[in-house]
Amino acid sequence: MKRVSLILAASVAVTATAVLAAPPGPMGPPPGPPPPYQLRPVEPAGDRTKPGGDGRTLFEVHCGYCHLNGGMGTNLLTKQRLMVGETPDKGLLANRTDLTADYVKAVVRMGKGAMPAQTRVDLTDAELDAVSKYLGKAG
Amino acid sequence: MKLHLPPRVSPKQFDAMLQAAAGVVGKDWVMATDADRDAYSDIYAPGNPEEWPASAAIAPGSVEEVRAIVRLANQYKTPLWPVARGKNLGYGTAAPRLPGSIVLDLGRMNRILELDPKLAYCVVEPGVGFFDLYDAIQREKLPLWLSVPGNAWGSVLGNALEHGIGYTPYGLHARNLCGIEAVLPDGDLMRTGMGAMKDNPAWHLFPMSYGPTFDLAFSQSNLGVVTKAGVWLQPAPESSLELVWDIPNEDDIGWVVDTIAPLKISGLVDQNVFIPSWLGKMVLKGQRKDFWDKPSAIPEWRVQELLKEHKLGYWQVALRLYGEEGVVKAKAEVVKAAMKRNIDVAPAEHWWHTGDYIHGVETTMGIPSAVPLQMSDWVGGRGAHMGFSPVVPATGRHVLDQKQRSRRIIAEFDVDFYASFTIGGRFANNVNMLMYDRDNAEEVARMRRLFDALIKETAKAGYAEYRTHLGWMDPVMDTFDFNDNALRRFGEKVKNALDPNGIIAPGKQGIWPAAYADARAKANAGGKA
Repeated sequence: MKRVSLILAASVAVTATAVLAAPPGPMGPPPGPPPPYQLRPVEPAGDRTKPGGDGRTLFEVHCGYCHLNGGMGTNLLTKQRLMVGETPDKGLLANRTDLTADYVKAVVRMGKGAMPAQTRVDLTDAELDAVSKYLGKAG
Repeated sequence: MKLHLPPRVSPKQFDAMLQAAAGVVGKDWVMATDADRDAYSDIYAPGNPEEWPASAAIAPGSVEEVRAIVRLANQYKTPLWPVARGKNLGYGTAAPRLPGSIVLDLGRMNRILELDPKLAYCVVEPGVGFFDLYDAIQREKLPLWLSVPGNAWGSVLGNALEHGIGYTPYGLHARNLCGIEAVLPDGDLMRTGMGAMKDNPAWHLFPMSYGPTFDLAFSQSNLGVVTKAGVWLQPAPESSLELVWDIPNEDDIGWVVDTIAPLKISGLVDQNVFIPSWLGKMVLKGQRKDFWDKPSAIPEWRVQELLKEHKLGYWQVALRLYGEEGVVKAKAEVVKAAMKRNIDVAPAEHWWHTGDYIHGVETTMGIPSAVPLQMSDWVGGRGAHMGFSPVVPATGRHVLDQKQRSRRIIAEFDVDFYASFTIGGRFANNVNMLMYDRDNAEEVARMRRLFDALIKETAKAGYAEYRTHLGWMDPVMDTFDFNDNALRRFGEKVKNALDPNGIIAPGKQGIWPAAYADARAKANAGGKA
């Protein structure tokens, strides 16, 4: 129960701040102070190599260093999405609808731009399956 | 990345090691595909990451598994390169010094074993990251603060063992370590300090051993694999005040250090005071091409324009005080009076009290973040950085001398100057940040020559680095030249006695075991691009 409430709290924080965030200037981050630290959910216990984990929880635990609200990845992606004419909330990977599971897997394992390739200790293959299904809303 | 075998190890022997290791940790935790080797390479490599190739990675899940893997490595003569979480960005990431070493990835060992708010310490395994520890403290609502490095993606222990620095009163991270457990190169297990006695409750409280104290012998070291350690934490202060001055001129750094260092040494200021030059603020405002669209270094006239346009000083002092409000107020008056002798501008004052908002990139309040790594976007492409990091006495004379030298050398190589001085007490850590696009071969080659020149010229002036990238571990160790490099000779005597097969991290910080001494200063060391 505790974990569920934490996840819910985290998701409310993401949505609220993403909506409230002012659009960034032409080349910089959004004005004003950065958003608060976003607590990640507790890492699920048990064998990390077994399939069937919750994609959202695993994403927030293992990718949350950079890809939650105010993270480095979110900041850089917000700039990139704005440049292609999208809204700033699309800087959060969880809000993207154009990602495919295969694309997510490729970026995680091969890296992209400032993002380094993730090892199988950072994210196991089973965890990556779950995360790529969660983020891969375009199939 | 293709397979680079360790020296003198046949493919058959290597496979036998991996199979035996899989028997210990499970086959999923032995990682030896080309993609795995890429993932363990230096993501900021100045040049080809195959200069520092791992052959595989093994991820044990317990102390007993670490011991078993170390014994196997001795049996199969496959050197291991232990990493905590492998996020030592700018210094080699997870990549090994000796080509073909197997990365011993301790990331799975991520338990927080103790978290004590009363005596303000924790006991953690190497896989515990700053984010993990911060989350655990927040969940339990404990009155404890962390000290975090600029990039907090990595491990609490890994950063402390690599002599990382933070920007709080607990910013000298290696000094926070208290009581270490380490697997020795023969697979034996040792605990330092009071932990040398079974179940002694003062293990992580008293910082010395009975007899010689070995805790820091395991830092920047290849004498063992640290499997847990105590880390002292800062009790959460009741309030905090940040005083911010923009310091207009380049040479003002001299009086700034002469003003703040005595306050730090006396204890009135307890923070590690970080003083970045203007470019440190600029890199978060966009990309270099938005401000200067030529490959040459940003010229002085343009620097002055940018400072005006963006209302920046050449340096910024953001000094933070911590404690009870009355104490903080009194301290602030002393600091302001001291600064006023040289700068007649009142600082911006930012108060914080328990329960107030803290934003997510507040490094001086111990909030973990990877956002400072955004500077990799400054140069564009696959941006990367290396830090040239000498230590100097915390006086204006030494700091100006160091700044002028590195400024001149960096200008000779037509590279932008981005320096910081962190006043840690009687010394200052100077980091000269060199940013480059990994895919620009000419730029990378220039950075490597520049790095060589900085080491050489700085050593001539009598200063040395506190930490360096894999590629320069030998050249920097060479600069410690007292009595025919007595420090290295001692380090290698100890290394050979404890690790006759040279199995743990050969070449780490320029300490080479006899078994691999022929790899010392090989072509992949130093800036021979």
